[in-house]
Amino acid sequence: MSDQPRILVVDDEPQLTRVLRTGLKSRGYDVRAAADGLAGFEAFTNWHPDLVITDLAMPNVDGLELCRRLRAISQVPIIVLSAKGEEKTKVEALDLGADDFVTKPFGIDELLARVRASLRRAKAPATNEAAQTILDAGDFHVDLESREVTVRGKPIHLTPKEFDLLVYFIRHSGKVLTHRTLLAALWGGNYVEQNEYLRVFVGNLRKKLEPEVATPRYILTEPWIGYRFDPGV
Amino acid sequence: MRYVVATLSVGVTTLVLKLLGDHVNAATVSLALLLNVLFIATRWGSWPALVASILAMLCFNFFFLPPFKTFNIAATDNWIALVAFLVTAVTAGQLSARAKKRAEEAELGKREIERLYGELRDAFERASHAEALRQSEKLKSALLDAVTHDLRTPLTSIKASITTLLDEVRGRSNEAPVTLDAESKVEMMEVIDEESDRLSRFINGLIELARIEAGELQLRRRWGAVDEIISTALDRAEPITRQHHVELDIEKELPGVRVDERAVSEVVYTLIDNAAKYSSKGSTIRIVARHAGDESIQMSVEDEGRGIPSDLRDRVFDKFFRATRDGDVSTQQPSGTGMGLAIAKGIIEAHDGKIWIESGAGDKGTRVVFTLPIGDEEIVEDVKYSAATVEMR
Repeated sequence: MSDQPRILVVDDEPQLTRVLRTGLKSRGYDVRAAADGLAGFEAFTNWHPDLVITDLAMPNVDGLELCRRLRAISQVPIIVLSAKGEEKTKVEALDLGADDFVTKPFGIDELLARVRASLRRAKAPATNEAAQTILDAGDFHVDLESREVTVRGKPIHLTPKEFDLLVYFIRHSGKVLTHRTLLAALWGGNYVEQNEYLRVFVGNLRKKLEPEVATPRYILTEPWIGYRFDPGV
Repeated sequence: MRYVVATLSVGVTTLVLKLLGDHVNAATVSLALLLNVLFIATRWGSWPALVASILAMLCFNFFFLPPFKTFNIAATDNWIALVAFLVTAVTAGQLSARAKKRAEEAELGKREIERLYGELRDAFERASHAEALRQSEKLKSALLDAVTHDLRTPLTSIKASITTLLDEVRGRSNEAPVTLDAESKVEMMEVIDEESDRLSRFINGLIELARIEAGELQLRRRWGAVDEIISTALDRAEPITRQHHVELDIEKELPGVRVDERAVSEVVYTLIDNAAKYSSKGSTIRIVARHAGDESIQMSVEDEGRGIPSDLRDRVFDKFFRATRDGDVSTQQPSGTGMGLAIAKGIIEAHDGKIWIESGAGDKGTRVVFTLPIGDEEIVEDVKYSAATVEMR
């Protein structure tokens, strides 16, 4: 049919789905809505959208369960709509594989920005990641074999763990990474509660990478949740 | 000290007996001394009793068994009497001392048990107090969650609509051009309008609930006609009942009721609104008013919807409880604010009435029933009411 990106909106609040449908359509997206996780999952399997926006608290199958079910069959980007005070559920959703979140109430711009970023990331070839020896992202140039890193053309020296952390960040640019996810990926499953490890290494990385450590522009903190890496343009 | 007293006591008894001289015989003396030993045993325990026994035996021998003032004894039967006395005194003394000790131990044990019981009770009280506090904290945070959810949901739709409209007006667009046709614009504005109304309704409900809970629901009771109360509510509900059949069944010659008409009409409206909301288009809503005994009248509003499971029928009167959301009753129907029935209950109970839910005719649908006392000419002052059932602290 058309080459418009398809977005599935899952929310039990009919007024919000109404607004999002219109708002997203006006930006050239093809939109469908579902009122709960069950209907959402069904719509996903029939329609194969490019992105899913889902509320967390819903009757029947909630947002968390939807994330779980979607991740079992697909790598589709998932953006979670959550409310302040739902931090725990939000982190759970991100750990289950959601890519990003927007906190209610939100402006349509904020949501659109997240939608664009998630779609861009999904489109980028993540194919031969293992065979790749050079990572080029924004201000960063990383040689995986010689383990050399340059930021804005300047070579910097990283310890092995810092190097691994940076590579992980670059490979998941733009995505919200929970403390748990990062700890599990870099230190292993036994260390998922050791937030202080992460704080130390992120602190060191920032000192070496950021032009201004106090106002980081690459490694951004998502309070109570984790970090988001922005390689710059 | 105990031994001195025991010795003295035996001495005094002996002296008294001696003073009585010939008026006492050996049997009396032995009984008196034995009594003395028993007294010492119960008072001061076994060792003083033993000392007293021996002393008493010596005194008995020395002063009262011939030949007097010697430890010699002439007659054989007196020897036997002396030995019998000693054995009896020692045995009785020891037994009563032991009994006394047991009694003391039992007393101590009893006191200890009482003390432990008291401590346990205090601990229980503290624990249950803490539990109650924890429960009330939990309830508070659940209520807060419910309220913030109900405030935030319409706000989210409003914010998303407004920003969509603003973007179009400002012509700002990072990538794709914004194409918002006239129809979409109207839709966005409709959403804003409806959601603002929803917010406003919610806030009004909150205020009313707070009033009921603070005991500030001022009822202006005056005599009113039941059919007028119902028709006022029906007029107001007309826009929402257009797609339903409304059936009225008001008993003839119903007496007037002494109520706050506006408040009761509000209750009837809430019930009609619920009936319309939770039953399908074209179905019937039945409103009935009749006598319930001599003292009160009963009104009910019945729909042909899905009904409310019996285990949720009390809970739907709790504030912010919604059968459609909190009770796992899933429907595509809109859910309310979770306040209507709580307010209705507050108003009805302020009139000393009762409100409850039953199944509709043929065990289908929902029938909400309430009673109102007809009222008394003598009640003149307005009743200030504090709803104990829906207290908010």
